[in-house]
Amino acid sequence: MSPSPSDTGHPADETSSGAVDGIDFAHPSERVAAEILDFYRVRWEYEPTTFPIEWDSNGNVIASFSPDFYLPDFDVYIELTTMSQKLVTKKNRKVRRLKELYPDVNIRIFYQKDFRRLLQRFGLAVEEQPQRVGGGVVIAKDEDQGE
Amino acid sequence: MASPPLPESCDAVLLSEERIRERVTELGAALTRDYEGQELRLVTVLRGGLIFLADLARATDVPLQLDFMAVSPYAPGRGGVVRVTKDLDDDITDAAVVLVEDVIDTGLTVNYVLSLLRARRPRSLEVCALLDKDVRRIADVPIAHRGFRIPDRFVVGYGLDLKGRYRNLPYVATLREDALEVR
Repeated sequence: MSPSPSDTGHPADETSSGAVDGIDFAHPSERVAAEILDFYRVRWEYEPTTFPIEWDSNGNVIASFSPDFYLPDFDVYIELTTMSQKLVTKKNRKVRRLKELYPDVNIRIFYQKDFRRLLQRFGLAVEEQPQRVGGGVVIAKDEDQGE
Repeated sequence: MASPPLPESCDAVLLSEERIRERVTELGAALTRDYEGQELRLVTVLRGGLIFLADLARATDVPLQLDFMAVSPYAPGRGGVVRVTKDLDDDITDAAVVLVEDVIDTGLTVNYVLSLLRARRPRSLEVCALLDKDVRRIADVPIAHRGFRIPDRFVVGYGLDLKGRYRNLPYVATLREDALEVR
């Protein structure tokens, strides 16, 4: 059973900014993550691979998982889970299953607190998003820049 | 002289002044051994690595030079890529270079800086990091000399900051979760 590339993958141009334009990110924090990767000139693909993780008795895929980013230079998948911690149990279960089925796949999960700390290391304040728009945290709009 | 009290925004001292001093002395001894008979360039990226660099240099007993780089911070929504805002003053071609880092977290910054330094063809290039927070590592950075592996906490002090503050604490402290402002 092999994972399949989805049609939403967009490899970033290593040398130019603006690779995020034209991609319909599922959550604002994913766009910020893509911008950060662009900033550090790290090539990325958005949801390029769908991993089947559960099948019915006839062998039909009934559950799959598409990590948010793949970084070909580091051969690592990144999953951003910026919703509140209590809502991540389902996602954790999927990641655990993926690791069981595909032990050679490297995947890192960034929880809301990890993403918040990363942004705050850049000197950026963050604000909570209402659940109706996906929850999680995004950069505060009126934030001035620090180092 | 007693260490300053823990700021209200911190919940614990993770690495005491004494523990840091002992470890930096050990790291300096390791560099002295590894680079015996060579002249060393210690390079750091401003500003977080400055205090570690200053102490490490004084714990290292080989001829050495210090040099500094600075890179632009990520600015949301502005696009663009990381830029060198202060370049090295000296040529490092054929030099033995050690990149001195305060903390390696995702590894993205170090990975980028290493690529810049490698392109200048030093004779050797190694990383010496005081703190290695590898739980969320993205870029696989080779660390030749490591001070401490630390847990997945936001830390300040000994050069590390939150919005420019706490760099002058002589110890490394963990920040309280509620001090990480969320509006």
